[in-house]
Amino acid sequence: MPKVKMKRQNIRMDMTAMCDVAFLLLSFFILTTKFRPNEPVQVEIPSSTAQIPIPEKDILMISVGSDGRVFFGVDDQNTRAAILDELARRYNFTITGEMQKRFKLIDQFGVPLDKLSSLLTLSQEDMGKFKQTGLRVEPKARVQGGVSSPDDDANAKNDLAELIVIARTLNDRLRIAIKADKGTDYKNIDDVIETLRKTNSNRFNLITTARAGAE
Amino acid sequence: MASIDTGAKGAPSVDMTPMVDLGFLLITFFMLATTMSKPKTMEIIKPAKNEKDDDAPPLKKSRSLSVLLGERDKVYFYIASDEDLKEGRLQVDSADFSAKGVRGAIRNRQDEVAQQYGSKDTLVVLIKAMPKSKYKNMVDILDEMRITGVKSYALVDLDKIDSTIMESVGSLQQQ
Repeated sequence: MPKVKMKRQNIRMDMTAMCDVAFLLLSFFILTTKFRPNEPVQVEIPSSTAQIPIPEKDILMISVGSDGRVFFGVDDQNTRAAILDELARRYNFTITGEMQKRFKLIDQFGVPLDKLSSLLTLSQEDMGKFKQTGLRVEPKARVQGGVSSPDDDANAKNDLAELIVIARTLNDRLRIAIKADKGTDYKNIDDVIETLRKTNSNRFNLITTARAGAE
Repeated sequence: MASIDTGAKGAPSVDMTPMVDLGFLLITFFMLATTMSKPKTMEIIKPAKNEKDDDAPPLKKSRSLSVLLGERDKVYFYIASDEDLKEGRLQVDSADFSAKGVRGAIRNRQDEVAQQYGSKDTLVVLIKAMPKSKYKNMVDILDEMRITGVKSYALVDLDKIDSTIMESVGSLQQQ
């Protein structure tokens, strides 16, 4: 029988094209990934069937933790710096360049406003460990530049209202968003909402995740 | 001249396979680390706070539904006029947040109102949350409003009777 001579052949594919595709996709994912910023409070947001996407910028974020601590944050760094200037004027503390730099980088904070300067003296590492007590939110407090009502209590303090009024005068495009933990008591939310109404911010958004398979 | 057969051309061929492997490994990592679903928002518009809190006109019983948010994901609802509330004439039902639960109750009420007034949009739902109610339930009930298409609803403060209802419900559950 004649021998069929089979030439052994190495199958060799050119991997260059595949490599190109892989790295193209890789660079896409690297660029689109936003790592979660270091947040002072863990918030597990509830789900809903709401469809409105959250606006990209000019957000005033109010976070409420499961323990009822309230945090405040603005996304724009220039507004942050302006807020700090205004707070320094009201609470008589001097801001160093270092403090301003730190405040611009904090996404959210939640300490009574008169203690803010001591928070800003902490290094970034210490700030991560420091347990912030949350803003004081007493709906009965008198709000400068807000709606007053007869049952206002002169001794009550409302840091949140003060911050909202300052932030909105500095940047009137700000939209208010509430990001609250799903296990938090309604009372905490109600305090925040009453505060918002006092500052004439009657329009706000609740942040939720999209619920899978709804409707 | 004798040509020199060099065999393969001089291009050095590098084996790209490990590099592709690495590329795809990193892609997988970044794909999993990326959260693609952006959070959604639910818009709420509250009535402006007046310096003098003028009383709202009374709501007709025939077009109202009061929903109380209780503990452990329970909702209690009743239909009552202001006089009924004063005199304590109430029939309270309970439901949960499943599709049959509170959604069914709201749909039934919408049908009743539609029969009487010709449009189901006449219905006004009053949502009353206890201080101890969970935020999740508040979002859930607002979501039900969206799903059932209730046009007018309001988050309102508790009446005196509501606290009484919740207390009696609480004591019933403990027995």
